Amino acid sequence: MSPTIRPNKKVVMQATQIIHAYKQAPWRVQRQYVGAFLLAVIVLALVAALYLDLSARTALTGREIQELQVEITILQRSNADLVTELASLTASAVMQQRALELGYRPVKPGELDYVFVPGYVTPEPAILLAAVDETFHPNALPEEYSQSLLEWLDERVEPRRGMQ
Amino acid sequence: MRQQYAIRSMVIVIGLVIIGVGVIVQMVRIQNSEQAKIFLSQGDQYAGEFRMFHPERGEIYDRNGHLLAGNRTVYEVGVSLTEMKDADAMSYILGTYLNMTFEEVRDKLVNSPGDWTYIVVKDYVDAETVAALQQVLKQLDDADDDRLNGLGFKPHFQRSYPEMTLASNVLGFVTRDGHGYFGIEEKYNDLLAGIPVQVWVPRDPNKAVDIPKVPNGTTLVLTLNRDLQAKVENILDQSLLEYGAKNGTIIVMDPKTGDILAMASTPRMNLNNYTDYFQIYDNGSQYNRSIGMAYEAGSVVKVLTMAAALDTGTVTPETTYIDTGSIDVGGITIQNWDRKPWGQRNMTECLQHSLNVCLAWVATEMGSQNFYSYMEHFGLGHPTGIDLSGEAMGRLKIPGDSDWYPVDLGTNAFGQGVTVTPLQMLMAVSAIANDGQMVTPHVLYAMLRDGHQYNVPSQYAGSPISEQTARTLSEMLAVSLESESTNALLAGYRVAGKTGTAQIPTEYGYDPNHTNVSFIGWGPVDDPQFMIYIWLQEPTTSIWSSQTAAPVFSTVAEQTVITLNIPPDLVRNQYGSR
Repeated sequence: MSPTIRPNKKVVMQATQIIHAYKQAPWRVQRQYVGAFLLAVIVLALVAALYLDLSARTALTGREIQELQVEITILQRSNADLVTELASLTASAVMQQRALELGYRPVKPGELDYVFVPGYVTPEPAILLAAVDETFHPNALPEEYSQSLLEWLDERVEPRRGMQ
Repeated sequence: MRQQYAIRSMVIVIGLVIIGVGVIVQMVRIQNSEQAKIFLSQGDQYAGEFRMFHPERGEIYDRNGHLLAGNRTVYEVGVSLTEMKDADAMSYILGTYLNMTFEEVRDKLVNSPGDWTYIVVKDYVDAETVAALQQVLKQLDDADDDRLNGLGFKPHFQRSYPEMTLASNVLGFVTRDGHGYFGIEEKYNDLLAGIPVQVWVPRDPNKAVDIPKVPNGTTLVLTLNRDLQAKVENILDQSLLEYGAKNGTIIVMDPKTGDILAMASTPRMNLNNYTDYFQIYDNGSQYNRSIGMAYEAGSVVKVLTMAAALDTGTVTPETTYIDTGSIDVGGITIQNWDRKPWGQRNMTECLQHSLNVCLAWVATEMGSQNFYSYMEHFGLGHPTGIDLSGEAMGRLKIPGDSDWYPVDLGTNAFGQGVTVTPLQMLMAVSAIANDGQMVTPHVLYAMLRDGHQYNVPSQYAGSPISEQTARTLSEMLAVSLESESTNALLAGYRVAGKTGTAQIPTEYGYDPNHTNVSFIGWGPVDDPQFMIYIWLQEPTTSIWSSQTAAPVFSTVAEQTVITLNIPPDLVRNQYGSR
């Protein structure tokens, strides 16, 4: 049988007092407060930085949108001007004058030869497919400019879920 | 010692708290003060603006994609009066470049109302002038010279017609207020103009909004063939010179679809200078005589009389009539154009020699009820419904009208006492060229909107006569043309048609010295692909249609078959047999 070891009551009490004193030390409490405060400051700074970053990027994108809108307007005007100028340069009277200057003359009925081409279909009037659908669609705006932060996060997480 | 520090600290803390609270109170007070509301409202004014976005007016093309009406950029030149530094220098430079006097510009700049901050010096300035002004502005800016401070340019669209006078009578024009007048521009003004949209545009880039795309006005494709239109206008101008006519009209139409391929009328105007309108035209009906001016067309109406008589079975081509040179209708004697008797003639010969007496007899045999019923079904006295603005209806007196007399049955039969527009005649006679089916003439071929093309279907305006009647009459008119009016023939192509020489009614009866000459014809007879109507007003070299309008028809028909690639009958029949 091994001998029973009895704790020294005095020693135990002293140790308890030291631990209690350490825990209640003013500098330790202050450090806890300072730590909590600094943590709050850091969190706030992070939020502020994130907000600033997002705001700056939004502002830049907004500015870019404004500039692109101006550019679109300028290009549309330029396009209309060029179409009209091209039409002026190829106007009936102009082309006729140019043809005469190049030595051409109007054809006479007897000078025409007609050739039978099996399967040939007389062309229909012009189909001006150059006209582009320019109507506004809500989806025309990229998602980056319309989705919320949560939606963006969800979209980022979603593909990874799909990979599992 | 520690006590003292504690008190001082407390005092400082209280002081700082009081200051902080004071700052907050002041902030709240300022934010909610009356002045703050004013400042906020002022700020809102600069936060953005309501901007009206005017869509680009739709373009107009011919059937082959040639632009007939487009848009070009012009500028509003204005000055911000709050930024302007030197009114004299500004007046001098702007006056030089904008073709205005120094005083004119200076008066605008200096004597504008006191609360104005911006003034328009001149609008619709072309791009070249603005480019030159911008160059001057840049040079001055580079030299730190502020004499043109405040000068600004606002671009906007203006209607432009690259073909200038071509088809001006059909197109109409657009004034600076953006409204279309006459022709296509007026008829389809709402479609072409589109719908303006007002949008709030913030200046804050954080609030940048996607400005809704304002759809352009609808682009229109016309049935006109630009090249044929140019040729027809040229022929018309030459004809007026050659025959000394006052004015004229030529229309070319596809008798199967009602597509107007060319519509020429005089006088024409350069649509880019629309303010010339008041110098060129006395009234709106002259703008496009093809649709706007009704007249007594004369013997071309005999085609309709004969069609009605054949369809009712009153006569056949072989029916004979002994022409004594005159006939009594309603107590009034009607005579032939040469006042001579032509003896026994069949109906083809009556048309061939354009005998008034014979046709008056045919109408009386048919009876007024039948005659006027057919004329109404042919559309006389009613608008054709063409998609052009400013159409006249003409006048067909019918029994029961206060100014209708029994003799009118006889005179109406050969085109006297009834007024029609050239287009009405073309539409009515299309029933004969198109196997009894009358087409509604139209100028719009298709509309382009949102990237889609909507073709306008052909419309038929009824079948006033049977297919058999149409073919019989077509053959009669081809034969009569071959025998009588050789000036109208076209080598290689069999055509049908009828001349019309009409005296002009005045307040004192019919003018004995002047006539309106007309011709209506179509071809090839076995497969009509074009119909042509000619009207020359008061030719001086000859009063007869056979010597004036008939050769014009031949020339127009010649250019039509070349432009539309219609092979001669012989070639076409050879191909058809393969």
